Amino acid sequence: MSTHNSEPLLAIRHVNKQYPGVKALDDVTLEMNAGEVMALLGENGAGKSTLVKVLSGAISRDSGEVLLGGRALPMDNTPLTARAFGIAIIYQELSLLPQLDVAENIFLTHEPTSFGSLIDYKKMHELARAQLDKLEASYIDTHAKVETLSLPERQLVEIAKALAIDCRVIIMDEPTTSLTWEETDHLFEMVRRLKSQNVAVVYISHRMDEVFQISDTVAVMRDGRLIDKVMTKDTDSVKVVEMMTGKLLEHKDRRPEDCTVIYDDAHVVMEVKDATDGKKIKDASFKVYAHEVLGFAGLVGAQRTELARAIFGADRLVHGEVTVSGRRIFNRTPTDSIRNHIGYLSENRKEEGLNLGMTLEENVVLIDMSKVSRRGYLSRSKITEIFENYRASTRIKGTGKQLVSSLSGGNQQKVAISKWLHSGCSLLIFDEPTRGIDVAAKAEIYAIIRKFAEEQVAAIVISSDVRELADVCDRVLVMSRGEIVHEIMPEGISQENILHSIVNKGGKKSNG
Amino acid sequence: MDKTAEKKQSIGSLLIGKFGVIAGLFVLCFIFSMLSSVFLAPGNIRNILIQAGTNSIIAAGMTFVILAAGIDLSVGSIVALSSVLGASIMKSTGNVVLGIAVALAVGAFLGFFNGVIIAYLDFPPFIVTLSTMWLYRGSAYVFTGGQAIVNLPDGNMTLALGRFIGIPYIVWLIIIVYIVCFIVLARMTFGRKVYAVGDNAESARLSGINVKAVRAIVFTISGFLAAVGGVILMSRLNSGQPIAGQSFEMTAIAAAVIGGTSLTKGGVGSIGGTLIGALFISALMNGLIILNVSAFWQQVVMGIVVLIAIGIDRYRKTLSNS
Repeated sequence: MSTHNSEPLLAIRHVNKQYPGVKALDDVTLEMNAGEVMALLGENGAGKSTLVKVLSGAISRDSGEVLLGGRALPMDNTPLTARAFGIAIIYQELSLLPQLDVAENIFLTHEPTSFGSLIDYKKMHELARAQLDKLEASYIDTHAKVETLSLPERQLVEIAKALAIDCRVIIMDEPTTSLTWEETDHLFEMVRRLKSQNVAVVYISHRMDEVFQISDTVAVMRDGRLIDKVMTKDTDSVKVVEMMTGKLLEHKDRRPEDCTVIYDDAHVVMEVKDATDGKKIKDASFKVYAHEVLGFAGLVGAQRTELARAIFGADRLVHGEVTVSGRRIFNRTPTDSIRNHIGYLSENRKEEGLNLGMTLEENVVLIDMSKVSRRGYLSRSKITEIFENYRASTRIKGTGKQLVSSLSGGNQQKVAISKWLHSGCSLLIFDEPTRGIDVAAKAEIYAIIRKFAEEQVAAIVISSDVRELADVCDRVLVMSRGEIVHEIMPEGISQENILHSIVNKGGKKSNG
Repeated sequence: MDKTAEKKQSIGSLLIGKFGVIAGLFVLCFIFSMLSSVFLAPGNIRNILIQAGTNSIIAAGMTFVILAAGIDLSVGSIVALSSVLGASIMKSTGNVVLGIAVALAVGAFLGFFNGVIIAYLDFPPFIVTLSTMWLYRGSAYVFTGGQAIVNLPDGNMTLALGRFIGIPYIVWLIIIVYIVCFIVLARMTFGRKVYAVGDNAESARLSGINVKAVRAIVFTISGFLAAVGGVILMSRLNSGQPIAGQSFEMTAIAAAVIGGTSLTKGGVGSIGGTLIGALFISALMNGLIILNVSAFWQQVVMGIVVLIAIGIDRYRKTLSNS
């Protein structure tokens, strides 16, 4: 860090934010100095974007204070207030207005005026020119419509826009996602220049190599809490990923002798060959063996969910084949997949997994209503009977006539799982089955998954929690950027092993 | 959720929800019966029910569509186009049943056409049915040259005038349509799918429900029931009129909304509520006419009633969120 004075530029103290059913920010305290580049890391749902939104005024915090240069940001922070305080954000999906020209975008809402309130276009273009020149972007025409610019050019305009309001904190949310290596280098040059102008930069990225290249400090969030903030030079990617995915606590990994799966070709129950979706997934091939729990590990952006959705028919595969028990199947829609007895428990239970406005029992029987109806007529007593069975076996705390929206996250997840247990599927993909769920419910869900694999054909578990994978899986595949890069057999299952293959494979790929 | 909160919420939402509309209907009838001795006379009650006929049946179809998170603005035009085509067949063949069958088939087809564009081309329901509202209405004008089709066979009037055990055929028709719709929506698997698609289409899709088919079917139902409403109107007017059914879509939407079906969130509402809503509108209009309130003021009152209904809907939502 370059600064010497003790007063931090940005101080976030005991900030809390509660959403229905989830604590998005839990007593977050964090400080930044002028000229500091801080990488902010965490898995999806860790609380990074909530924190960013609190800073930018997109949402208001419940409690806690935010100080910028000693001045307190008001509780009812708005985007306008945040900008007046000098906080600027460069979003993943750029926030420029494509129909306006470069100068109009840079000075949007604070256009230089003359004669009282008339916009002084000449002055505006001169000032915009000066800003862009400072960024060594003199090749960008201030009269050009933003929609005609390339993506990196637009990013430069975003930065110029931030600097035009004399900002002191710039938050960059995944700025390199759509950039080439060359453009990324150029962006890093920009970050260094901002740093030399004493601007603090919050850099959000999932690319570990970038983080170590550009940042002074690394802050890691998980489950709404700030886990730690450390100097970049004092840490390495293994430690950082460990912080992101959960500490390697005293824990009993699944022992190889517990694994009863027979790994030979006669016991293959499903095979995926060269799955490619034309966008993110490249030639993913793997086999699933009878009665195993197969794990998928990887960081955000590894495209595990995308692979699962494509196999399930929720998204399209452009190439590749899926065979079940030697028979080739075509899952063009989820309906096809369910007919082929393959189910998918979504990672977004609220948006995709459940019908929140319907009752518990309606949700549980939704996938397969044939067991509770005759010629289309529902038997309400049958529905209740079936629901009560699942309520007992998965220990749902709630009544059948209650709306799902009134349940806690753990109980909602049990309803979503019951729904799939009832569907008659014999191979089930559990995508982040315990996200946002308390420890007791987690253990119950692990037991359900193991039991499912033993009694039915097989289970696939996608998880960002290394401990969870080591706990419940017989075998683990590691993905990175749409490819399966590593396989860990039963004898190699341990938190350390999974963690190391995530980091090493991820790191190697991104450098190469 | 703790027990007391649950209890409190259910009482609160019942008061203004399910029983609210019924209570409103009773209060309305009470007020009108105070102001006019004619209002509760058997003859007038029969009038109210007969006048509710077309609208209540169109509103039943509208309820399917709104529950599936859609909207159908073309029902008024379907009334016109299906009844002029039915009337022309009736007139040229002299066969009343054939004419009615053609009208119903046309209505179902027009609704199906809406549904296919909406479901399979993924166009917004508002825009599609706004377009077909003009398309169907225009076709009715083109087909008839703007003239009503009159001199229909006598049998056409049977529906409007006939009674069975003292109760008009039209009222029987309302009862049958609502019983069938109730069974389909509340007691059959298809009904659960309609609610699921309206509540959360993506979750429904991932649960293996054919969301597109459900969407196409609800619009087909809406078109078919609009044609049933058109057949009633054709019988009561004893003609096929290309101008029939103007703004019927709005009254049908109003009936559903007054009955507690949510326009802003799919999957919320019930067919019973819509029936009460349609009766409420019919009783209101009838009462205002008996009291000699001018047609201009009737519209003002109607607007206020729908605003109040939406206000209750919003209030119920904040109740269930708290």
